[in-house]
Amino acid sequence: MLNKTAHLSPSKQLAMNYFRVAIVLFGAQLLFGLVIGLQYLFPGFLYEVVDFSVARMIHINALVVWMLYAMIGSVYLMLPDETGIEKPVGMGLGKLAFWVLTAAVAVVVVVFLFIQVGPGKESSIWFINEGREYLEAPRWADIGIVVVVLIFYANVFFTYMKGKKTGIMTVMVANLMAVAGLYLAGMFFTDNISMDQYWWWWVIHLWVEATWEVFVGTLAAYALLRVIGAKREIVEMWLWIEVLMLFGSGILGLGHHYFWIGTPEYWWEIGALFSSLEPVPLVAMFVHVLYDWGKEQGAHEAGGKGNAITNGPTMAWVTVNAFGNFLGAGIWGFFHTLPQVNIYTHGSQFTAAHGHLAFFGAYATILVGMMYLGIQDSYGLKKLKATFKSKMALFLITFGMLGMAVALTIAGYEQVLVERAELGAGWQAFFTAQNLPWYVQAMVWREIMGVVVFLGFVYLVWDLLTIGKVEAAAEEA
Amino acid sequence: MNFHMFEQCHDVACNNFFAWLNQGPLTLTIVLHTIIILPMFWIYFSEKKKLQQGKED
Amino acid sequence: MAGKKASVWTSISFWRRSAAWVTGLATILLIWLTFDTMAQIRMGTDQELKEGIKRRIPAPTVINYKIDYKYDEKRGLEAPVIGPEKQPLFGKELSPKEAAALLHLGKLTSQSKNCMDCHTLLGNGGYYAPDLTKAWLDPMWEQTMPAMTGKKTKEEAMVAFLMHPDKYPTHARMMPNLGITEQEAKGLVAFLKHMSSIDTNGYPRGFSKTIKEFQTGGTYAK
Ligand code: HEC
Ligand code: HEM
Ligand code: HEM
Ligand SMILES: [Fe+2]
Repeated sequence: MLNKTAHLSPSKQLAMNYFRVAIVLFGAQLLFGLVIGLQYLFPGFLYEVVDFSVARMIHINALVVWMLYAMIGSVYLMLPDETGIEKPVGMGLGKLAFWVLTAAVAVVVVVFLFIQVGPGKESSIWFINEGREYLEAPRWADIGIVVVVLIFYANVFFTYMKGKKTGIMTVMVANLMAVAGLYLAGMFFTDNISMDQYWWWWVIHLWVEATWEVFVGTLAAYALLRVIGAKREIVEMWLWIEVLMLFGSGILGLGHHYFWIGTPEYWWEIGALFSSLEPVPLVAMFVHVLYDWGKEQGAHEAGGKGNAITNGPTMAWVTVNAFGNFLGAGIWGFFHTLPQVNIYTHGSQFTAAHGHLAFFGAYATILVGMMYLGIQDSYGLKKLKATFKSKMALFLITFGMLGMAVALTIAGYEQVLVERAELGAGWQAFFTAQNLPWYVQAMVWREIMGVVVFLGFVYLVWDLLTIGKVEAAAEEA
Repeated sequence: MNFHMFEQCHDVACNNFFAWLNQGPLTLTIVLHTIIILPMFWIYFSEKKKLQQGKED
Repeated sequence: MAGKKASVWTSISFWRRSAAWVTGLATILLIWLTFDTMAQIRMGTDQELKEGIKRRIPAPTVINYKIDYKYDEKRGLEAPVIGPEKQPLFGKELSPKEAAALLHLGKLTSQSKNCMDCHTLLGNGGYYAPDLTKAWLDPMWEQTMPAMTGKKTKEEAMVAFLMHPDKYPTHARMMPNLGITEQEAKGLVAFLKHMSSIDTNGYPRGFSKTIKEFQTGGTYAK
């Protein structure tokens, strides 16, 4: 992953840069996750040094930022293949934007970690911490991010206009505009907490349950073309069906966050019914991946050509993505999406169970898959076969995340039944549930499973650093 | 017997279109789904005509 | 070309047009709904409070009133009950301007100290510490906390706690000292009191039940 990129097109070289930073941030995310998991068990751990709020902020911001990096990387990776143009328009600016963004991220992390909080003044919001979950980045950084993203978007857009216009790229270009535009909804201050959260959810929900999902649809389409040689016509038809269903359910599905924040009662019905349909496209995406895989594999075997897959790790991660998206977002999401259930589960460990499984299943998986595609290109390999390390990484990370989600779901049930249903929320009710033996055990399991995930991550990094060389040597021989 | 299938609006504000629609069994959401789905029939038949006339895309 | 591709279901152009239509209309509906909701969740005015007109998010001067959270038979959920008795914060009735300024300070402080990554506000945030939506009405603030902090009123007890949470722990999982000044703490109390007056469609459910049971000592809580 570190060298061997000299022969790559400028676009793909930049993609590899984005992937490198992404994987570092992924590691940071996991470390801080382990810290906050530990603080649940030993509340004195790093108390008033790196408090829960500080470590949690880094955990979830590293998450969002590494995913954005890996997403941008994936776009630069597919850009030459899809448009037929090796050097995107405005590549110099694109490279500069990468360094500016990376410097800004570094400054924000240092401020989060060492300054942490500021006085109750506007300047704190501008320079230290905006204090809104996921969108904690101070305002100056928000503006910086917008500028950088505009440069990236210009790269993609003008290259698209100049080159071939495939269906995949058409969806990508339109969707990226929405991803970038939505971020603006999170960039203002108001004294009205209901208004605040109304727009906050525009960013969070319309990202993860609409635009990012469509993004994943385009990545999966691209990966299927490359990895198993699926037919473009079929893949692009599925892509449009996915767009139809994802946006058709996801945009008004936003209503499932407007049940209890001061917004009118009519959101109950809108949020419930539209978000209940959100799992449907996720099933479709799952079926699509398996169907295409089976079809191409069958054709290959019939023709005596052996295995259809040209990149084992990518195909494995894409398959875990197809299932994980359906399970984490679709099933776990549906569990608590009806207001009749959500009035009890809202803001409980149950939400955390869903959040972990969904982010992992829907996004982490496919983005790791794209990194393996990048490796394949970097070493100019015809085939990339999974190594022992690739398999350990996939198994340990997936098993660990599932285990974490199960533990959190159990904790969530306990909390919901005791704190909410039995005692009716409130300060003492909260702690009564937090101290139940089953709840505490679940929190221990969450941490154990977190360590399993981290072990898998070590294998992942090790594999990404070595697999290219190993396979290149094998291909020479 | 009251099964609460039809309920008069008792939200904080009832003088708006969506609250007015929201007084029967799933009426609000059914209306919204319908106006989204119905025009797809028209798209379907217009595409069919195009295909039958042999036009590409 | 006849007979080449007869089925509309495998026509890319059909799905593309449908996708564009559905996305466009869903977006328009969302924007329409947003306009309607904006009108309903803008902050009310002091005049409306005086006349007893219900708003989902009352004016900042709601902090001059007594706030309760009671089961509403018709709606089948609990809703805030505001006034008509006054219960001015820190014993002093504030003008609309003063109340707005105090609330502004409180909201700003809540963001710059990042309460939301430990607590949930209106149910959104971190799950490490109690939900603050109705914290102002929590029974712990009736007697326990004023006694512990040696203050006479709950707002004074809240200020003492927020300034030095490390001095007044009630559980092993403690809130850290965030360097909150007295003025900021007062702002935060105004912010919390205002939040408790928001009509959250009955979330958290059963909150008033707990209050009653706590008052009669009838719960399993230690
Ligand atoms: C590092 C995590 C953390 C941060 C940040 C934090 N709190 Fe807390 N808070 C806690 C914990 C833990 C408790 C429970 C303390 C106990 O029971 O001993 C608590 C208790 C409280 C309580 C009493 C509980 C109740 O239901 O009334 C209030 C009020 C409160 N915090 C307000 C705030 C405000 C306002 C902020 C932001 C300025 C804030 N907290 C920031 C962790 C935090
Ligand atoms: C990949 C897609 C998804 C991701 C990454 C995701 C992630 C998340 C996260 C992180 C939260 C917690 C937000 C917070 O911090 O407060 C959340 C909340 C929620 N999600 Fe999802 N989600 C996805 C898809 C879905 C789907 C498809 C559904 C429904 C069918 C759903 C239903 C919900 C609901 C109801 C909540 C609110 C929980 C609460 O009230 O506390 N999600 N989601
Ligand atoms: C080492 C493994 C991990 C551990 C121990 C861990 C632990 C935690 C903890 C303790 C929280 C705070 C929850 C709370 O407020 O109570 C959290 C939040 C969160 N984590 Fe992790 N995490 C890990 C890995 C991950 C991964 C891999 C992802 C995504 C791919 C992820 C996504 C999230 C999200 C989205 C939230 C916010 C959830 C919400 O608000 O509902 N975490 N994590
Ligand atoms: Fe959502």
